[in-house]
Amino acid sequence: MKRYITQLAVGAALAFATSALAETVGPQGETATPSASVMVAEADLEVIRAGGHTAALLWHDQSDFVNAVTAGATDELARAGIEVVATTSAGFDAAKQRSDIETALTKNPSIILSLPLDPVTSAAAFQEARDNDVKLVFLSNLPSGYEHPADYAAIVTDDLFQMGKQAADALAASMGGKGTVGWIYHDAAYYVTNQRDNAFKTTIENDYPDISIVAEQGISDPARAEDIANAMLLRNPDIGGIYVTWAGPAEGVLAALRANGNTTTKMVTLDLSEPVALDMVRGGNVAAIVADEAYELGRAMAAAAILDLLDQDVPPFVVAPAVTVTADNVVEGWMQSLHIDAPKSVTKD
Amino acid sequence: MTAVKQRLSGFDFQNMVVYIGFIAIFIFFAVTLYDDGFLTQRNLTNIFLQTAPATIMAIGLVFALSAGEIDLSFGSIVAVSALTAAVVLRDYPLIMGVAAGLGVGILIGALNGVLVAYLKLPSFLVTLATMGLFAGIARSMTDLRSVPVMNEAFTGFFGSGKLFSVPSLLIWTVVAVAIGHIFYRHTRFGAHVLATGDNPRAAQVTGIKVPRVRLYVMMICGGTAGLAGLLYAGRLQAAKYTLGESDLMTVIAAVIVGGTALNGGKGSVIGALLGSLLMGMLNNGLILMNLKVSDQMIVRGLIILLAVAVSLRDSSR
Repeated sequence: MKRYITQLAVGAALAFATSALAETVGPQGETATPSASVMVAEADLEVIRAGGHTAALLWHDQSDFVNAVTAGATDELARAGIEVVATTSAGFDAAKQRSDIETALTKNPSIILSLPLDPVTSAAAFQEARDNDVKLVFLSNLPSGYEHPADYAAIVTDDLFQMGKQAADALAASMGGKGTVGWIYHDAAYYVTNQRDNAFKTTIENDYPDISIVAEQGISDPARAEDIANAMLLRNPDIGGIYVTWAGPAEGVLAALRANGNTTTKMVTLDLSEPVALDMVRGGNVAAIVADEAYELGRAMAAAAILDLLDQDVPPFVVAPAVTVTADNVVEGWMQSLHIDAPKSVTKD
Repeated sequence: MTAVKQRLSGFDFQNMVVYIGFIAIFIFFAVTLYDDGFLTQRNLTNIFLQTAPATIMAIGLVFALSAGEIDLSFGSIVAVSALTAAVVLRDYPLIMGVAAGLGVGILIGALNGVLVAYLKLPSFLVTLATMGLFAGIARSMTDLRSVPVMNEAFTGFFGSGKLFSVPSLLIWTVVAVAIGHIFYRHTRFGAHVLATGDNPRAAQVTGIKVPRVRLYVMMICGGTAGLAGLLYAGRLQAAKYTLGESDLMTVIAAVIVGGTALNGGKGSVIGALLGSLLMGMLNNGLILMNLKVSDQMIVRGLIILLAVAVSLRDSSR
């Protein structure tokens, strides 16, 4: 019964996400605006510089991705003379995120850029900031009940549909447009991963008639990825390709492929990871990694907050582009996504 | 000079480390962060509110450690209790939600206690297992979803409200510390806990029902974790399976820094309160100093290491 309810819930989430079809839509069905159109004019920067504004960056965790978002945001804020007065990481702990917000508010920031850990728990957490008229720009998630533009300036996220679609296109290309595919998706009601995963599935089903998805497996604990992949390979030893929801579990899937001596099954995943990229440049199983432009995400978040400080209209839902990284463009791709040099290990000939 | 030396030699530095550390760090932040709002009433109140659930968990752990046991499962109990209360509050009144949340915590504590006291299994291994067991149960209870708590009486009483302008979390902290301290220091039960932790065989010989003491301390740990779960649910106006997960190391550090011995027979509820506040003050001050997140972690780790090393210096001899 429990399993049936789980399948029903996941099915409902998938139905919602796939209803978005060919484009990324916001948590409340908002139409996406490209991040490139969210820019602050030089003349407006002068006005902001005179305001003595400050900002707090209250993240959910620490990672290369967060570092790149922070760098993009900090650079854009610096252009406007806005000082970052607090940076925190909640370590995915909703209670710590609330504490971080309270502590940062002690410094009276004009702007808070943050990834709310989930819509439900973050609604109360951001309430004091909202009540104090702090300009809020959210990364990917929206606290429940928050309305644009009264409560927040914008949500900025990846072009989620494009990420999934580009992963499907890259995997299909590596398989010559035919064969069988395994789909390892994030088994949780999480807006970001659900949209990406379903975009992959939708693209394969709609655009590649000679490719069939023969195995579907949800994952909630990345540590179990290797077990899940082993089971999938046992049942489908000739599987042509595997999609993995993000790079963490992809490392486990890669371990399973190696342990099985499998050199033919192609794999794609989302978000950059050195071990996965290393396999790709060495001509292993990994065909491509699709990444978001994290630095651009941060820049767009800061720009949205500055525009809100200027009382200018800010689009409610902004998306940054996706980049397909292959062995051929790993150096440029790394820089485009994370704004740092690719690790030496993946650039060695 | 000799008199001064004698006085210094009688000074129990180990027991005072939490007080000295607390005051030293407070003064350091007060001076360096004076212009950043550290000393404002709002910020100091925040530290109390943010540490309230950890302080209450720490009280339970003082009892367990003092009796020579440990509970590693309290983080998972926090999540199960918070989720249970949140789910019950969807359809039932305040009292039912509170009873369910607290009851679940005490029951899990009792399960731990029975396994430790009567099946004679080591508490470290029992609670390591139940930590994973109940973390899994917390995840499956609501299919990883957060549950909003809409009952305003509950959220006011357990986290977000005030009584005569005093935040409810502050009241919970004071009441829990007062009750914990009185039970620990001024009741026969408290004495039995310490005697059990100090030398269980001798305690048994003097007529103390050692298994029962062990059962009760594990139930107290479960109960305080359950209460912490209610406070988190009230403060966040929601419950989630991750609540309490990251508190394990913070709470253990707070209790050890506060003067409670890892191997039993010695402890302090007031020390645990100060240890918990010390942890909260470190989190707060290092953020206000605008350190990078990784630097915050390094500095916090070093200070905790120093404090724990000094606290445990005697017991390691």
